[in-house]
Amino acid sequence: MVTLKQIGFGYTKRQRLFDQLNLELEPGKIYGLLGRNGAGKTTLLKIVAGLVFPRTGESTVFGYDSQKRFPACLEDICLIPEEYQVPAIRIDSYISLNAPFYQRFDQEKLDWLMNEFQLERSQKLHQLSYGQKKKFLLAFGLSTSARLLLMDEPTNGLDIPSKSQFRRVIAASLSSEQSVLISTHQVRDLEALIDPIIIIDEGQIIFNRGLQEISAALRFETLPEIKENMQPIYYEEALGGYPAIVPNTQGKQSRLDMELLFNGVIANRKGINESFNA
Amino acid sequence: MEAQQSLNIHRLYFLIRRHILSNGKSWLIAYGAIAGSLLVLTLFRGYFQPADIGGLTGLYFVVMFIGGYIFTAGIYGELHQPQRSYQYLTLPVSTTERLLSAWIITAFLFPLVAILTMAFIVFIGNLVLNFTLDITPFAGVFSSGSWASLKVYWVTQSIFLLGAAYFRGYNFLKTVLALFVVSVALQIIVGVTGWLMFGTPGTQVAFGTGQMTQQLEDFFLQIFPSVVRIMFYYLFVPFFLITTWFSLKERQV
Repeated sequence: MVTLKQIGFGYTKRQRLFDQLNLELEPGKIYGLLGRNGAGKTTLLKIVAGLVFPRTGESTVFGYDSQKRFPACLEDICLIPEEYQVPAIRIDSYISLNAPFYQRFDQEKLDWLMNEFQLERSQKLHQLSYGQKKKFLLAFGLSTSARLLLMDEPTNGLDIPSKSQFRRVIAASLSSEQSVLISTHQVRDLEALIDPIIIIDEGQIIFNRGLQEISAALRFETLPEIKENMQPIYYEEALGGYPAIVPNTQGKQSRLDMELLFNGVIANRKGINESFNA
Repeated sequence: MEAQQSLNIHRLYFLIRRHILSNGKSWLIAYGAIAGSLLVLTLFRGYFQPADIGGLTGLYFVVMFIGGYIFTAGIYGELHQPQRSYQYLTLPVSTTERLLSAWIITAFLFPLVAILTMAFIVFIGNLVLNFTLDITPFAGVFSSGSWASLKVYWVTQSIFLLGAAYFRGYNFLKTVLALFVVSVALQIIVGVTGWLMFGTPGTQVAFGTGQMTQQLEDFFLQIFPSVVRIMFYYLFVPFFLITTWFSLKERQV
């Protein structure tokens, strides 16, 4: 569905952001793209959408070279960026001007989503709050029936009820043909939604695994103390104990702590990945 | 399949419609201000010379040219706003459609509206000052001179269309600056070539004085102007449209 092969990219020739980056996305999944500031999460989304071109390698989406921006390919891609500016027109005007480009545009779904998000067609787009604009763009994007949704920090700017509403809407409105790639720092907001988890660091995808696989290989627990013979793969010092990642040698289930996993992968990539090979 | 990807009449129509309706308000304000000013100017002049209502046609065309260049240079405005360019570039349309939609609006719809406005201003002026529906003053607007001006507009506006796609912000001024730089460079090349051909600086060469061979005179007086005319009217527009197409194709956010 989406294949990034040997991608090399840098905004300047000297500073390489990606080097030989490879990634494959399959339909029916909600991928969480995690990474430090400046790791290139947004740039990766832009490469997939054909908004920036890799210096080396190739990016194909549904078999099309994303760089060529073929209409048939763009019809299947919906990008919801973190920062955006909307035109100074009414919601219904925006819909009538942009919906005709999407042959599978679902007006009924849009009505349902607008109702969910408490948006009125007569409202002026530029007069909406940041969160409301984001909700509208999300509603419009989901209604295009695009098979690939790219979202950059989708929960930024949403209030607490809206975050759970966002999760509910995404989970309810996706079909098995559709995939979502969500770039986020707000891992707690999306913990219940994303699977698999992709972590990007130093120009490479350093971690790309499903939740089931993670749960089978790793256990997340808070240790009262760190003893020499315990050897957790990664641990942090916190109030009341040591949240740690340990190899799941006994096959016990634990609640996945995505923030801890992210920190663990960044700090001890080798140790984490070795647990999956054991 | 490739051809279908490149041009679809429905998508082109929707893109033109999107261009016009999403920018309509600001375009309408600018249009109203300019047309209103020209009408006032026409009435003011017509008050003193009521018999020559169509006398400002030349000025109308100057305004159309300058207005058209500014309008053309701003046609890809959405592309130059970092937080809006993603919408335009991810819209399911081809590069050819992005190019044609902008070209149709700036090269055909704009002059059409401009000429109809000129005719309307002359009509109103005649009606108010001469109390007549005489259409004779329209002749100036639809004369062969106007047609010649339109052809020049079609050619020159394509340069500004390239500027609209190529430059990021201040497209009109940057295009004018680029034209200035190119014209200076051309003058230098012509000057150096002339100096190399005819000797030291300051040498004056006149036609028909035997300073040049007949062949060279024929080249300068007959072949060169014909070649320039053909290049100007038939090659400039395709050249700038193709360059604009590549500029749009390679455009990144």
